[in-house]
Amino acid sequence: MMHVAWPPRGSLQRRLALALTGGVMALWLLATVAAGLLLRREIDEVFDSALQEVVQRVLPLAYTEILAREADAGSDPQRIASVGAHREYITYIVRDASGRRLLQSHDADLAQFPPNPAHGFSDGPSSRLYTEIAVSGTIVVTAAERPGHRQKAVRDAIRLLAWPLVLLLPLGIAGTWVLVAVTLRPVVAFRHEIEARGSGHLAPVSVSHLPSEIAPVAEAVNALMARVRRALDAERSFTANSAHELRTPVAAALAQAQRLRAELPEGAARARTVEIESALKRLARLSEKLLQLARAEGASLIGEAPEDLVPALRLVLDDLAAEGAVAVALPPAGRFVSTLDLDAFAILARNLIENALKHGDASQPVRVALTDDGRFSVVSPGPVLEPVMLAAMTQRFVRGTTMAEGAGLGLSIVQAIAQGVGAEIAFVSPATGQAGGLEVAVRLPAATLKAG
Amino acid sequence: MRVLLVEDDPILGSAVRDQVAADGHGVDWAKRLADAGAFVRLAHYDLILLDLMLPDGRGLDFLRARRQAGDTTAVIILTARDQVSDRIAGLNAGADDYLVKPFDLAELSARLSAVARRYGGNPNPLMQIGGLTLDLAARSIVRDGHSISLTAREWALFDAFIQRPTMLLSKALLEERLYTFDSEVESNTIEVYVGRLRKKLGAEVIETVRGMGYRLGAATLAGCGKSPP
Repeated sequence: MMHVAWPPRGSLQRRLALALTGGVMALWLLATVAAGLLLRREIDEVFDSALQEVVQRVLPLAYTEILAREADAGSDPQRIASVGAHREYITYIVRDASGRRLLQSHDADLAQFPPNPAHGFSDGPSSRLYTEIAVSGTIVVTAAERPGHRQKAVRDAIRLLAWPLVLLLPLGIAGTWVLVAVTLRPVVAFRHEIEARGSGHLAPVSVSHLPSEIAPVAEAVNALMARVRRALDAERSFTANSAHELRTPVAAALAQAQRLRAELPEGAARARTVEIESALKRLARLSEKLLQLARAEGASLIGEAPEDLVPALRLVLDDLAAEGAVAVALPPAGRFVSTLDLDAFAILARNLIENALKHGDASQPVRVALTDDGRFSVVSPGPVLEPVMLAAMTQRFVRGTTMAEGAGLGLSIVQAIAQGVGAEIAFVSPATGQAGGLEVAVRLPAATLKAG
Repeated sequence: MRVLLVEDDPILGSAVRDQVAADGHGVDWAKRLADAGAFVRLAHYDLILLDLMLPDGRGLDFLRARRQAGDTTAVIILTARDQVSDRIAGLNAGADDYLVKPFDLAELSARLSAVARRYGGNPNPLMQIGGLTLDLAARSIVRDGHSISLTAREWALFDAFIQRPTMLLSKALLEERLYTFDSEVESNTIEVYVGRLRKKLGAEVIETVRGMGYRLGAATLAGCGKSPP
């Protein structure tokens, strides 16, 4: 299917179409003008020859006629009786040396004939003339061409040449347009492909169908994307590795502290181990959140392939099951396929649910809902929050008025992820359809399932 | 239970080994996948605690290879990889549970028991055996309203019987469950522990099948497997 739309100013299609059509038209016009000039010369030759011919034909006739008439001695110029009145393109007049008219064609207009024309071709007031002076100057035959006749012939010929131009102009524009559009189709496809993978999807684009002028550009883009991809991979693996490097010693210290506590008898020393333990747990939580934030702010938020987010949500819910009651509503289809990276979604969901469990009213369950169209919402039960509180909520290290443990990074992480994938996030208090509570809703990007 | 711990970090590994041993299980500690491979060929393990990033390879590959070879030993992954996708990959490779570092040792113990119970076919931690009311998760035994306390070793041995209530367990098998490659097995240790269990829980609790081994007493077995009302 051809997609024909008016391309934007400065688009290659528009430029090519206008330039090609314009160029062809200009050349055509030039050719028409040249043909007109050439035609004019040829027509001049033909017409002049006709004029001369008429005079040379009239001369002997006129001579005979005049000799015959001198016997009658009439004074008036004689008109050649015509077979019928008609429009004459060439008129003539025969005069004697004193300029007295002896003979003229029936349609001759005296104003066309100057009194003493020179021998040969000359231009009259508005017509072309040819004069022949014979019999020692006693007979002067002058023929005149009808004024404007020759111009009209040239004009008609040029008009005939130019007419197709008027017809061909729209055809030419349309043809060039379509041709350019078809030729540029791989380039447009290339553009769409680049646009589609602007955000995180960095697989190389296919170069094989591109014209040779654009292919190097595509290759350069691919090279650039490969570099970006390497940089992102390095960042991603750094985050993952630093997580690993950090977690193992923390885990070792925590486990040793817990063993120490188990092995020590009751007393001050054992109380110390409890403090070490809680400090280590705080360290573990903080490093986890900082790494999550680093991940959320890195660009690895769009998965390589669309994935179902429901299993990730289930795992997160399993993990948090011990921390409080959660009422869950999953999409009726049982799955929600998104371009959002599975891990990024798990981090987002975990932080939102953890937050709700930590800060909400523990006597009521936290409500978690994921709908078919990708609205993920978490409602923490509790009183209605002040707008000022809502506004301060996503600032880093702001912990609210709670005594609960936490680094205050949860919502920043959620916001970083939402921003990273261009998802809308809304903080609403009271929660929709309820008297109180805080609802955080994120519109997750749905994967557009490609046909085929 | 006999547990194989695969962990390369010496500080974390020693703490985990001590915790699992303190729970009464026999623990062997492999610091490399090659060692782990050798251990599973030499002994029968009830459970493997598996780290994913080891100096000589990936724990997941080891797990996949074990599962492909038809090994059904329970496996809990211990890892610093906390991403959900890693976890899904681990579970899909055949792990029974997944614990992200840093973890609480008490949680490790609880998950170990939970996985072992699921493997025993009875995920319910509450059991009624004869006149005994057991809470496997809390490791408490109540008999006629009195609570009886067992040492970790005694519990580990008793656990071997209640995991497979109808099975006859040979002395060698019981020794294997309690001991590891590092510890010397005294020739009469099992007899000593069986004697202690009979003293605490009642003489009829464990029967001796002469020359073959031990099993739960018939009277005890009658009410086995049911949870208390």
